[in-house]
Amino acid sequence: MQNSKLIKFIESIGDAALSFLASIYEALHFTALCLIHLVQAKSYSPAMRMVLIKQIYFTAVGIIPLFIILAFLFGSVFVGIVIVLAAKYNLQSEIGSILVTFVLNEFAPFFTALLISLRSGAAINTEIAVMNVNKELSTLKHYDIDLIDYLFLPRIISGIISITSLAILFAIIMLMSGYIFTLFYMNMDLHTYKNLLLNALEFSNFVVLLLKSIAFGFVTMMIPIYSGLKTQNAYTAIPISVLNGMVKLFIAIFFIEVISLLLQSL
Amino acid sequence: MHEQYSLISSETPVISNLNMLENIALIKEFHEHMPTSQAQNIAREYLQKIDLGHIANYRANQCTSLELFYVMALRALMSQKEDIIIVTPLLLIKKIETMNAIIETLKRLNDGNKNILILDTHSNELYYKGCRCNIIE
Repeated sequence: MQNSKLIKFIESIGDAALSFLASIYEALHFTALCLIHLVQAKSYSPAMRMVLIKQIYFTAVGIIPLFIILAFLFGSVFVGIVIVLAAKYNLQSEIGSILVTFVLNEFAPFFTALLISLRSGAAINTEIAVMNVNKELSTLKHYDIDLIDYLFLPRIISGIISITSLAILFAIIMLMSGYIFTLFYMNMDLHTYKNLLLNALEFSNFVVLLLKSIAFGFVTMMIPIYSGLKTQNAYTAIPISVLNGMVKLFIAIFFIEVISLLLQSL
Repeated sequence: MHEQYSLISSETPVISNLNMLENIALIKEFHEHMPTSQAQNIAREYLQKIDLGHIANYRANQCTSLELFYVMALRALMSQKEDIIIVTPLLLIKKIETMNAIIETLKRLNDGNKNILILDTHSNELYYKGCRCNIIE
């Protein structure tokens, strides 16, 4: 009796492990397919390019006014905190490099990814899930329209372009708003502040900003798309799909952040 | 495995995030790499041919079931596949008395002489009375 319970328990662990591995394999396979299509010239049909332009507009351009306000508010607050702490611990000479590292390497790409995830990630997850439930994806398949080329690739590319460009914009606004704080708190003139930042800037800061933004852009679109695609055939499954997709996306964003910190500390 | 026919059925609805013009033009843009404006001009001409030019910029929720049916038919006609299969059109089109007008419109649109096959059930036989088409039981 106890033996059969133990066997069932071991079997359930095996089942769970197998289904976990199968889902990991499926997700990696889908990612690999998207990457292959990304580098193929034939993926870029006029229809795909039109979707790409629309997606860049919806993801990057539409958010700019809100984004500038948020960058300014967060910028002055966070840069202010960094400067106050640096002054408190007698690190005034290091303020430039602290600001540049904090803004370019960490905060700008991370915050941009979070904002785009909340705004566009959730929308794309819902859009793909609705199309799936409405059988619109089966229409596209029936007419031999490659889902990766027509639907997924424009969204992934727009995610990469949008997060990279918005992260750069965010960093610029954040550093500019930081000047306002230094002006009032430290009486620092613009020339000194500018030199402080320029002397601290290194090529590696741009590389980290670029690589992190690309990685964030990729997962911010890829995970919601995959989650929408896996939605079961019922309208009630759509909110569950969005919920699962967003949880996985946030885990992935934090995972990238941790990996990047580990790599930078090497 | 790709089907050798274009299907018009409840399994192949129009794409809801595209307007009717984009829905029709999509096939040519994607398969023939036709520029968007050119493909949309062709789509617009076909819509005007059946007096539906006004729905060009409508989304699916703004169209009647008959208008959506014609858009699905035009989309199928844009495809390079020779055969078009329409499955139980009466499930797609609400409130019609006869299929006669629809079949005549399809004939008018079908200038590429594609083979159009309508699959329907016996219970809908009455709707096809007087139609100028071959009925195979």
